[in-house]
Amino acid sequence: MAIKAGFDLGSTAVKVILTEDEKILWSGHSPTAPGQEALAKSLMAKGLSELGLQSDSVSQVAATGYGKGLVGLAERRIDEIQANALGLFKLSGGGARHIINIGGQDIKLIHLDERGRVSDFKMNDKCAAGTGRFFELVARLLDTPIAEFARLSQEASQEITLNSTCVVFAESEMVSLMAKGAGNGDIIKALHASVARRVAAMLARADLSFGVWLDGGPALNQGLVRALEDELLTEVFVLDNPQFTVAYGAALSLN
Amino acid sequence: MTVAMEGGASSRQARLLAKTREKALSEEKAILDWLRTREDYRPNWEYFLELLADRRIETIEARCQRKAIRLLCNQTPLELIWAFGFQPVKIVCGSLAESAYSAREWPALMCPLIKGILTSLELDPDLANGSWVTPTSCDWVVKFWEISQKVKPGSGTVKFLELPHLKQRPESQKRWLEEIKALNLYLAQLKGKKIDRHKLIEAIQALNRAWMAIIELKKARLEGRLSLSWFLAIIGTFFFDRLDRWTSQVESLIEDLTEKRFSGVKVFLAGSPIFFPNFKLPALMEEAGLMVVADDLCSAERIFPGGQVFEDTSEWGLLASLAGRYHQGCLCPTFGDNERRVHNILAQQQEAQILGVVFVVLKGCHPYDLESSTIESTLKDRGLRFLRLETDYATEDRQNLFTRLEAFGHSLAGV
Repeated sequence: MAIKAGFDLGSTAVKVILTEDEKILWSGHSPTAPGQEALAKSLMAKGLSELGLQSDSVSQVAATGYGKGLVGLAERRIDEIQANALGLFKLSGGGARHIINIGGQDIKLIHLDERGRVSDFKMNDKCAAGTGRFFELVARLLDTPIAEFARLSQEASQEITLNSTCVVFAESEMVSLMAKGAGNGDIIKALHASVARRVAAMLARADLSFGVWLDGGPALNQGLVRALEDELLTEVFVLDNPQFTVAYGAALSLN
Repeated sequence: MTVAMEGGASSRQARLLAKTREKALSEEKAILDWLRTREDYRPNWEYFLELLADRRIETIEARCQRKAIRLLCNQTPLELIWAFGFQPVKIVCGSLAESAYSAREWPALMCPLIKGILTSLELDPDLANGSWVTPTSCDWVVKFWEISQKVKPGSGTVKFLELPHLKQRPESQKRWLEEIKALNLYLAQLKGKKIDRHKLIEAIQALNRAWMAIIELKKARLEGRLSLSWFLAIIGTFFFDRLDRWTSQVESLIEDLTEKRFSGVKVFLAGSPIFFPNFKLPALMEEAGLMVVADDLCSAERIFPGGQVFEDTSEWGLLASLAGRYHQGCLCPTFGDNERRVHNILAQQQEAQILGVVFVVLKGCHPYDLESSTIESTLKDRGLRFLRLETDYATEDRQNLFTRLEAFGHSLAGV
């Protein structure tokens, strides 16, 4: 078997995907920690073992993400924007034209042409507002797992607005809202709306008639998907495993 | 008790300043070492590194045997200053430490360049003194003198040149010519004698020779014989030595540039200026495989607006031609009728087969920020790819910037 592996070494998680003839055989992830290459290798070994394959079954490895330079065994290193475009375009059946990727520390907006090539992209600057870190901070503050965010936001009983775009100020604003009696659901719904506004501002002039595809870990949060649809006034599509599209794109780049 | 407290505060300020100086020197040393250890370094280019290493006004005056006229921005006719026997020195600062020191007192979103210069005034005792010529370009430059007097009260003198911001209007051009005539009188007062028309013609010719050398440098960069980083380093020394000696050194350096050493995805670099030792972006662009083949930075290709052609050799005629060139030939985004800037990019795109434009906005540099969106839409309408980067002197966004530059390069190359 000619297995190809894609490693996505992100700021919050390391994702590994194993493919054969562009078909996803296995995917796995682990929180980012020192020794990212070892982490990725151990994920790959785990995947091969679960698939009942030999450790030398992987013919080629491609790496992407902030840590891509750390992977000595990678035959190809590809930037995460190209990898994202490759992976999502393929998985969307060639339908994707606009991608919103929310990663651990950045937001990327990628525009594709009809052949799936990157025609333009934008990324947030240093600020972490609206990124995966922002969600983690709120989860800690509210002592609520992110997996619960979608359900809780549907239970919101009042409309409140988070005005601060700065993570630090948003934290103190949330503390103040809690002191005034706002429930977790209210705050989470406001958080989703705040992130959606930030993304919408970055997409202000784009023609979104084809809808947008959301990926990255936060795409699993249906509350955020609803808020984005509400703010962008277009359909937001999400794949089953949106956190693996970039790693998959890296694997595809080996073709 | 009060005295002791004041003494304590003052001592703390002195220690902070000393620490800032130390950090600034360390930033400079890091970049000088980096330039020295690059593969494209040649030992006979040490001249330029030595100029970068000591940019104090006192040193420049001793080196040039001329009193310095301190300048902000690019609209002051340099030839006029040389003709009076002064040395024009554009005051700039690309130091993170110096910029950060001023951030304690001045607005956080203030231009990092101006913040840096305010600290430089405290670090270099001679800098604040002497004569300053300040065209009223952007808001930060207009307010600079006022706030500099809070840093160093009573120091130096300033000659403002009131810059008309609609350069294509005949009324504006007349007003600017009056400003240049007033500058001529100001410099005559400083020198104690009227301008010598022949000296002015000599200065124009000397600058024309320097411009020819810069054209050769540009050509070398375009053809991959000179890197962006070294191009910026060389141009960045323009004001730090006598013009004839600097030009000779550049001419000699050009003779070294025979072999093509660099390749990559050809891009145009536009936007806010890049000053030593803030070489973060040039280094990242090179690392990302981008080859800057042309630029419109006022710290690089636009360091002065080209050579001077003149027919009328009377004093009035020479002043009028200088005024026209430094005003209408200037592509500073503070002008309200600056369409020439985008035309310049488009013209260079065709000439140099540029695939995309990297537009840098220094945080707090509002005119460039504003102009970026109009330039972006015009260039995209013409099918040119555009990447806007907003940054400051800090290094913490290196990875974020690199990701974008690398992806931009890959998408241009069709990887």
